[in-house]
Amino acid sequence: MTTPITVLTPTGTLGYGFGADALKRGMSLKPDVIAVDAGSTDPGPHYLGSGEPLVSRFSMEKELTQLIEAAHAANIPVIVGSAGGAGSKAHVDWTVAIVRNVLASLGLRKKVAWIYADMPKDLVKSAIRDGNVVDFEAGAPLTEEDVDASVTLVAQMGHEPICEALDAGAQIIICGRACDDTTIAAYPIWKGADVGLSIHMGKILECGAFSAEPFAMDVMLGRVDDDGFVLEPGSLERRASIRSVAAHSLYERENPFIQGGPGHELDLSDCAFKAVGDRQVRVSGAKAKATKNYFIKLEGARLMGYRSICVAGVRCPTMIERLDELLEGVKERAHAYFAPQTIQAHFHVHGRDGVMQRWEPRRNELAREIGLTIDVVADNAELAHAACHQISGALLHLHYPGIFNTSGNLAFLYSPSEIDAGRVYDFSAYHLMKVDSPTALFPIHYEEI
Amino acid sequence: MAEQTLSQLATIIRSKNAGPFRITFDILFTDPETYRQVRDSGAVSRRSVAHAYGIEESDISSLFHVDMANAVKVTLKRPRRQGSFGESDVYGCQQHVPLLSLPVPGV
Repeated sequence: MTTPITVLTPTGTLGYGFGADALKRGMSLKPDVIAVDAGSTDPGPHYLGSGEPLVSRFSMEKELTQLIEAAHAANIPVIVGSAGGAGSKAHVDWTVAIVRNVLASLGLRKKVAWIYADMPKDLVKSAIRDGNVVDFEAGAPLTEEDVDASVTLVAQMGHEPICEALDAGAQIIICGRACDDTTIAAYPIWKGADVGLSIHMGKILECGAFSAEPFAMDVMLGRVDDDGFVLEPGSLERRASIRSVAAHSLYERENPFIQGGPGHELDLSDCAFKAVGDRQVRVSGAKAKATKNYFIKLEGARLMGYRSICVAGVRCPTMIERLDELLEGVKERAHAYFAPQTIQAHFHVHGRDGVMQRWEPRRNELAREIGLTIDVVADNAELAHAACHQISGALLHLHYPGIFNTSGNLAFLYSPSEIDAGRVYDFSAYHLMKVDSPTALFPIHYEEI
Repeated sequence: MAEQTLSQLATIIRSKNAGPFRITFDILFTDPETYRQVRDSGAVSRRSVAHAYGIEESDISSLFHVDMANAVKVTLKRPRRQGSFGESDVYGCQQHVPLLSLPVPGV
């Protein structure tokens, strides 16, 4: 029988907030570690590509201050996964710089570890040549050209690099891209808890109190023992119920029974949920199996170009009823006008099928009013702006059969009518790479700060 | 018994990205008996979902009945890579609506 390990996860994404009272109450339950995830691919490729942090410096500093203060008082470590949003080097360095400020302002000295998750391009290209990179869901193999085109390339670490930092006595661990659940599971695994149960607990805890009701970005705790784990929200205003926990175990993942992760596969087919009192749920049955080869998931982003947009309303039915044909004509003429330079232009038609596009079953209904976004991406910002303006101007004063209003048929929201949105990124890699060691590609730096 | 829609029977119907290449739909029921009836009615099938979205059955990546959670889970291949040019729903969280009106016979 191993000693039960309690993990406190303050929120679903560090920087999105949590209740101070919920943290206080959670800390009264004597957790062994504070572990929290700070990102994923969910907000899109921008953060991975640009290196800009997902949340503001203000939020990160405020929340790290609260957590480091609480962890210091309880003499327990703090683990942050996928720092900065995408877990690139820029994101890790940004987060470590904030940790420095926080420790200085609290007058504390801690052993800080930070773990990079950036993958050297040469290494990935050589893995491609050796047949060690396989498609996951992208539907196409990763090519050496994709790797060269990537501005950032990271991989999700498993729990092993975090355990190594714990071995070295780190009290604050800032991880680059890490598999969400392993950030939470690393400490219990390091303490000898069952790998399958710890990772399953991590999967549920990584979203904070999203597995509670009412759900929120808030404090959640899990206590893992030999036979399962017990979940409980920090705030007494919330409860964990079988429904809330079972629902959450489906969230954001495709297969509810078998889930792959770095070096393992988790089998959840025999999972069971049991209510404990009014506010706790006990979960059992998860089994982890080490995979024959150790695969890590690569995530890359490349620069797609520069964006300029124009947002306008269309109210006249004469234009709405022939909108597609008018938009296509304007787009064709814009391509010709700027040739041989190339642009990409897309129209988002909100009020009709702006949200669901091809999946919209009611796209043929005539809308009363349309919210039109003209979206242009080009190789440079000047061209994107010029093309967006050319398209919006052409559409504004377009003549078409049946027109009543000859003074303009676009209601612009702003002056200037175009907004330059800067660099645009696209995912360039989402593939699995076979590695020899779970730790070798995730270098750890230590410093007494 | 009259035909009902999924929104009259389920408690939660939601959509969300599951990675940049998939959108997963969770249909959750509070009452296990309602869940079993909907499951056994076959109302949520590859065919009915493909019809509701105007897509091919091959665009459906998976469909699971999850007894332990009283849930049906359907995952579709994303029409485009998340965040790529033309993206209309970065989090994939507003794609669930055609499921609300899915007909369920005889529950």
